[in-house]
Amino acid sequence: MSGAKSNPERNLAELGATSAEGISALFVEVRARFDRETGQLAAGDLAAWTALRNSWLGRSSGVITAIGDNWLKPSAPEQKRVVGKLLNELKAHVESTLEELRVRAEAAGETGAAAASGTDLSLPGLRRALGTRHPICQTLEELERIFLSIGFSVVEGPEIETPYYNFEALNIPEHHPARDTMDTFYLSLPKGSPELLLRTHTSPMQIHTMERQQPPVRIIVPGRCYRRDNPDSTHSFAFHQIEGLAVDTDITFCEFKGTVEYFVREFLGPKTRTRLRPSYFPFTEPSAEVDASCFACDGRGCRICKQAGWIELFGSGMVDPAVYGFVNYDAKRLSGFAFGMGVERMAMMRYGISDIQLLYQNDVRFLRQFV
Amino acid sequence: MKILYHWLKEFVAIPLEPRELGSRLSLAGVAVDAIEESPAGPVLDAEITTNRPDLLGHLGVAREVAAIVRSSFKMPEAQPKESAERAGDATRVEITCPDLCGRFTARVLRAVRIGPSPDWLRQRLEALGQTPINNVVDATNYVMFELGHALHAFDLDTLAERRIVVRRANPGEKMRTLDGIERVLTRDMCVVADARRAVAIGGIMGGAETEISSATRNLLLECAWFDPISIRRTSKALGLRTEASIRFERRADPEMAERASRRCAQLIQEIAGGEVLAGVVDVYPSRQPAAELELTRRELLRVMGADVPDAEIEGILRALGFEPQRTDANRAGHDSLVAAWRCTQPSWRNDVAREVDLIEEVARHHGFDKFPPRLPAARQPARRLSHANALDALRERLIGLGYQEAVPIPFVDEVHDVLFREEAAGAPGIARLANPLAEDAAVLRSTGAVTMVRTLEWNLNRGQRNLRLFEIGRVYGIEGSKSVETPMLTLGAAGLAREKSVHDSPRTFGLEDLKGDLETLLEICGGVQAEAGGPAWLQAGRAMRLALVREKSALSAGDTKWAGAGGQLARRVAERFKLKQDVWVAQLQLDPLVRAFAAHRAGRHFVPLPRFPAVERDFSLVVADGVTFGRVAQTIRGLAVPEIENIEAVDLFRGGAIPAGKHSLLVRVTLQSHESTLTEAQVNEVSARIVAALEREVGATLRTG
Ligand SMILES: [Zn+2]
Repeated sequence: MSGAKSNPERNLAELGATSAEGISALFVEVRARFDRETGQLAAGDLAAWTALRNSWLGRSSGVITAIGDNWLKPSAPEQKRVVGKLLNELKAHVESTLEELRVRAEAAGETGAAAASGTDLSLPGLRRALGTRHPICQTLEELERIFLSIGFSVVEGPEIETPYYNFEALNIPEHHPARDTMDTFYLSLPKGSPELLLRTHTSPMQIHTMERQQPPVRIIVPGRCYRRDNPDSTHSFAFHQIEGLAVDTDITFCEFKGTVEYFVREFLGPKTRTRLRPSYFPFTEPSAEVDASCFACDGRGCRICKQAGWIELFGSGMVDPAVYGFVNYDAKRLSGFAFGMGVERMAMMRYGISDIQLLYQNDVRFLRQFV
Repeated sequence: MKILYHWLKEFVAIPLEPRELGSRLSLAGVAVDAIEESPAGPVLDAEITTNRPDLLGHLGVAREVAAIVRSSFKMPEAQPKESAERAGDATRVEITCPDLCGRFTARVLRAVRIGPSPDWLRQRLEALGQTPINNVVDATNYVMFELGHALHAFDLDTLAERRIVVRRANPGEKMRTLDGIERVLTRDMCVVADARRAVAIGGIMGGAETEISSATRNLLLECAWFDPISIRRTSKALGLRTEASIRFERRADPEMAERASRRCAQLIQEIAGGEVLAGVVDVYPSRQPAAELELTRRELLRVMGADVPDAEIEGILRALGFEPQRTDANRAGHDSLVAAWRCTQPSWRNDVAREVDLIEEVARHHGFDKFPPRLPAARQPARRLSHANALDALRERLIGLGYQEAVPIPFVDEVHDVLFREEAAGAPGIARLANPLAEDAAVLRSTGAVTMVRTLEWNLNRGQRNLRLFEIGRVYGIEGSKSVETPMLTLGAAGLAREKSVHDSPRTFGLEDLKGDLETLLEICGGVQAEAGGPAWLQAGRAMRLALVREKSALSAGDTKWAGAGGQLARRVAERFKLKQDVWVAQLQLDPLVRAFAAHRAGRHFVPLPRFPAVERDFSLVVADGVTFGRVAQTIRGLAVPEIENIEAVDLFRGGAIPAGKHSLLVRVTLQSHESTLTEAQVNEVSARIVAALEREVGATLRTG
């Protein structure tokens, strides 16, 4: 900084600048020196920036302070105005330039520092491996939520049942052909003990519930059931159902239909259409199979719906008055509806699972897919 | 059942293409699953519900079609040219068991020429999946598929005394059926016999000795009606299901027997020639008058919730054969609210016996789509299961702890089940299946551990090494003659607690992980305490019994109610599953957890936050092995200093400068006053008391430097 004609350590007289032009030339030279020094500053070099800032704006030894001390203070009153104005201009230029450089240096410094320390943001973060809920349980929960929203309470019952609750009270006497469709596991018990079986459907809880309470009844019964079917991709000897039952003085086929349609839209989407097809179950009359328009093709026909455009969901119907006879309900005054849907079927449809056995193997690679 | 489109057309005019017909039938309750082409024309594959035996023949399906398209319906011709000789002079029929056989008709045909059936008939049978045999047998099958009623033709000349006795089988009586198998019969089975021996199992299958052969000339044509329950029992007992038994066990139409016989005689005459003797021998002990049924609009509205016009009701019921007659006083009025109809139950519709059954007939043919949907009125609040909140909270934590939910099938091998059983006094017995499908799935599990180990095994065998799984499910048992189902929570783990990554080093899952997970999980139930020990299926020294703090505090000192156990699977058990890895399992009864969860929830209360700073003091102790952290903490708590807020174990090590038989334990005590900032002097005073107590009571020495 010394040696130059514009050395701020000397006063104006020593530098031989007395005229306004002479003073102005000194300032031009100082400013050019500043611009040169800033031009040499390496991007991101915050230390060099700090040194530069100290040499120009340092309170005790900076160039600006020195010019104030050596040029401005000792000068004659008429020169003071000129020097003061030029000094202010210089100071403003230095401050704004240095601020700009600081922002730029810091930004560049961050990238550079990161590269230097080896941070690689393409690496995964330090994660905690969380668990997942089983797809059957997720489906059960979803089904429960839908029916809770229209006033159905959840009840549970035993999986080991008596033939009375599983069959007789549901209007399926011994030797009824419908028993063929529900091949049953029986328990091995000491001679003389009453027969026990693994329930083939959740329907026994219809009877338990009506024995316990008077109408209005609005329940769903999630639970495990068993049928003695040889396992394959669509059969498992243990599976889940959700039973539904509504009994009241004013429930007709129209309320049954409204409930079923609400459920189908909630579960499969608001555009899904519902179709009730007459069918037969010993404990409902009239009975109906519930079909939904195919979610894959919207009813046009595809491989999933076997070109039918419809997918069979579950069996249902108006409670057969014979069932009321078993629970001392007045069949002349009361009516209701019931349905029983396979939870696995719903889950398989929802997630596109082709083999029911996958649901019970509990392979963690399978379970992880249902996050 | 397979249905031929062109066959239907013989009975009813069908203005619909096969596909459209299939879909209309489905919407009326005859589910048509597929339509195929055959040399006999389009074949509709329909699923017939068990209540509709009348649909197991083309005639019955044609009647449904007539109701769907509201067109007229024609019965097939059944007028054989009869000769002068009377059937009653050629044979005799006697029924000695009218409870098993309600009707037996016999026609006699002479000079029949046995040979192959004509092509049209063979084609139809083949399209239905039947193998043509000879013209007479084919004719009986053809009529069965046409009218839905099974028939059987005997070679009349092979029948002893050319007569029929329908009776109960003699105990141990033997007969070789058409399929060549010798059947041993029992007293509750119905046989068709001649004067000497059984020649057919009634309604199920004929005998080999009296079957139609190429040498047959004269026939006895049986068309009967057998009791459905008896047929079902016999068919099950013999393991023999036939087209005939399927029809009789669903209750065939007794009135159809004579007509089907007449139709069949005509067909045999047409394709095999011969002479049909006049009349029929018809023994009909179970004849019953047709039942009358009533349908009212009031009940229709009560069940269906929306109306159906008079004309529609009457049109449907008439087409289906119910012959409806208006009977109410307001007969002239259209669609009157008090309208009532008297109907006659057709003999082929035993399934329609009540008003509600008539309502279903009307509704399904009117169309379920015509009834408007409405949601039922809300009458009471909807409730979840009482333990739903507890299960949600437990599941949420388990998933947060990294456990994946498993849903296993609870059938296991008894050999595996017993490995995990604790034979405590009063424990329920094993729930065995009487008719398992496989030996390795013959009992209902008595523990959650057995299926959890199977699940871990499945995954380990498939290269999945780091596992954490949980299951909420029931275990089963038998107490006397009653069943017991107990919900359980089971955890399983194997492999690494922490996997290696660029950020972290690996760490193997250990007892402290299992314990820590259980402690974290059961915070929401008020905490859990572990004590060394456990059932035999856990490895000694790496097993713990678990008690809920809430349950424990309710008991007197020294008593413990165990909620479960956990630890490393015993090597001995792991070997049985060929597991080489260390596997960790914990099992807890769910009901106590649910109770503790509710109690803990209810007991949560706000404690004001401390206004003064807490002070921590570390005590570096040397204690003899066997002095547990628990005892150290208990000793410190025993001082009953209210400012002692927390006691933690920060470090533990052996060796180095520590003499053998001892270990170093670094204990951190947090002191906290709610009244003031603790002074240095106060803290020092408490520290001195802690040291003194530890020296005195557990023989600890304070390590310096
Ligand atoms: Zn589709």
